[in-house]
Amino acid sequence: MFLRLVFESFRRQKRRKGVALLAIALGMSIATAMIAVGTDVGDKLNQELRKGNANLVLTPMEDTLDVNLGGVTLKPASEGAYIQESDLIKLKSIFFGHSILGFAPFLSNEETISVHGHEVNADLIGTYFAQPLQYGTESFATGVRTVNGWWKVDGDWPQDYAASSWPTNVAADVLVGNKLAQANSLTVGDEISIAGKKLRVSGILNTGGAEDRAIVAPLHIVQQILGKPNAVRSVAVSALTKPEDAFARRDPNKMSPKMRDRWYCTSYANSIAFQIHEALPSVRVDQIRQVEQNQGRVLARISGLMLLLTLAALVGAALAVSAAMAATILERRQEVGLMKSLGASNGMVASLFLFEASLLALAGAAVGCIAGILLAQRMGQSIFGSSITLHPAVIPIVVVAALLVTFVGSAGAVRKAVQFDPAVVLRGDA
Amino acid sequence: MNRKRMFLRLVMKDALVRKDRAFTALLSVAVVATMATVALTIYYDLEGRLSREFRSFGANVIVTKHEGSLSADELAKLNSIVGSKGDVVPVAYAIGTFSTGQKIVVGGADTEKLLRLNSWWSVKERNANPLELIGSRADPGTAFTLEFDAGGSGTIRAGTVFTSGTDDDSRLYLPLERFVRETHVLPNTALVRVDGRPQEIQSAIDQLHASLPQLEVEPVRQITQTQTAVLGKTRSVVLAASAVVVILIMLCMVATFSSSVLERRRDYAVMKALGASNRAVNLLFASQSVFLALTGALIGFVAGSGVAYWIGKANFDAAILPQAVLLLPVVLGSIMLALIASTAPIRLLQRIQPAGILRGE
Repeated sequence: MFLRLVFESFRRQKRRKGVALLAIALGMSIATAMIAVGTDVGDKLNQELRKGNANLVLTPMEDTLDVNLGGVTLKPASEGAYIQESDLIKLKSIFFGHSILGFAPFLSNEETISVHGHEVNADLIGTYFAQPLQYGTESFATGVRTVNGWWKVDGDWPQDYAASSWPTNVAADVLVGNKLAQANSLTVGDEISIAGKKLRVSGILNTGGAEDRAIVAPLHIVQQILGKPNAVRSVAVSALTKPEDAFARRDPNKMSPKMRDRWYCTSYANSIAFQIHEALPSVRVDQIRQVEQNQGRVLARISGLMLLLTLAALVGAALAVSAAMAATILERRQEVGLMKSLGASNGMVASLFLFEASLLALAGAAVGCIAGILLAQRMGQSIFGSSITLHPAVIPIVVVAALLVTFVGSAGAVRKAVQFDPAVVLRGDA
Repeated sequence: MNRKRMFLRLVMKDALVRKDRAFTALLSVAVVATMATVALTIYYDLEGRLSREFRSFGANVIVTKHEGSLSADELAKLNSIVGSKGDVVPVAYAIGTFSTGQKIVVGGADTEKLLRLNSWWSVKERNANPLELIGSRADPGTAFTLEFDAGGSGTIRAGTVFTSGTDDDSRLYLPLERFVRETHVLPNTALVRVDGRPQEIQSAIDQLHASLPQLEVEPVRQITQTQTAVLGKTRSVVLAASAVVVILIMLCMVATFSSSVLERRRDYAVMKALGASNRAVNLLFASQSVFLALTGALIGFVAGSGVAYWIGKANFDAAILPQAVLLLPVVLGSIMLALIASTAPIRLLQRIQPAGILRGE
């Protein structure tokens, strides 16, 4: 009989039930979408920033000081120590290898460049643009195009060459900084030569930094011009990191083994630097603190903002659903009066209503969850160009929240409805 | 009792007699208005609020003079353009040589200001010369003698060791006065921090370009581009999320609201049976909706401003103040919505004969 009452109530009051279901589904899709976006936005923005910004820099441990002034390297190539280029692939082998989004090695020296028949002195910088590399079975390309997102090229990016190979028949492509190009009226397609080697300008580089007065060439070309095979001076690394907190700054050597494990397995810039140093012992790893420290703070602010907005949206959705449930139940006091006059107890009436409400809640949660996930995906796609990862715990949370909110919304209204005298209600006086 | 008073009485009585029904409708309007106010207030203030966070990134514009040093006139112009919304630190560079023959880049600047500008440097003070700064890579650990290319030489005690992760780690910074005494070199570079939104920074750069054409003015692309990217993405996320929330809650409210109007079909039928015209009934229902929406929107605006204020306090350590300009759109929006939500069900009712409704059909 109970089930029949419920069934008939759904069958005969399609509009009322539809409204309640719609309200719950809408509320729950807000909850799902906001939780999904709110919890993932920090990671997404972090990834976005890391794409174009190195946050770690590797230099040789035993190096002499860099002497750079006004964008010119004053330290001769013969001086100081180098990092072995062939070691760099080990960056991928560390525990957080998957967090290393890219790296770009640098080798530079001041060279005499002959341009249109006259000679100028400028820095020659060698680096990866998008060098294809192989780590185990994984093939990937890395270089300044992924690490230094603010570098802009008018023309084409040069291609990268394999180690110690020189292109035959054609001149190797290089980039010329825009200030250097302007001063010497160089344009795309012009030929220059360094130490008797012919090079072709494939693009004009604009970085807003010292590179604007330099020649930027594929690393393996520069290694051959300088006679320094397999050598790099520094490496810029872009790693996906977790914002630094007090725990991150602690010295891992003074921790208990358990704490040390936790520190080691958290993607702090400090622990990634520590792991890089383990893999490449002759390398000094520094955080580019300007990037690392400040972005962490900004990201924390944004994530915090999104979480608070999510919280506000959840409370709002809960109130809206409660209002909708209360509205649909209050309008049914005539039914309550009828049931009670036929001998139903308050408890029975309440359990009927609450059972109906929980059916609605479950259906609403299901619809809302699916709609919410779709919405979150759409938002992720249109803003970040990648989908939002939804934590699986969100689904049970949303279902429980739906039940809770509908119950709370209905309970007050049900209590109010059963308190009325059936006779008064049925007479239509209430 | 004249018609006007009767009408007002009908409007008020409905809300007073069926308090619960009025309350649920009011609540749903108030929730929409609250969420809309929160979203709009935060969105309105977001760029300014976040741009403030970017102050800690340090210099975002570098001004250089390639021939000679910055004149007092040029520095004055720089200071007047950047003014109070930023910082200008002139720096001079020279090469020094350790007794080992190792060369080092030495900078001369107001080192106190330099430290403040580069607040992200990790800094350790170790003796009574905190204004002589040495990068952690260059630091020999003790006092040392430097010979300057200009001919002077001096003992450096370097009381502050800093780590930045940039070229600065291989440099020594001395207070400008001492630097000039030793090297006779005057500043040719100024590190400039311009505060504000991306477009304000750009306009300051344009202004610098225009009034100091002989100087090279370069934004630190890494910083300015990051700021633009972060702000742009954050704005889109907040906007999209708020839009989704407000639209969905709005739908929810429309559903609740119109269902509560539809439940009043008996009132409607009685009025019609007593001879009320369609126009009079519409007007009554609409006025009641407007009355509820107005009250709900005002409550929602106050609540929403409160929530935004709290979010600002909790997240940005600075309150986000209520924006009075948003009051009108929120109130008008709520009234519009309520009218839409109540007219649809009335249309539906008009198709049915009052007698049918009263009979319970």
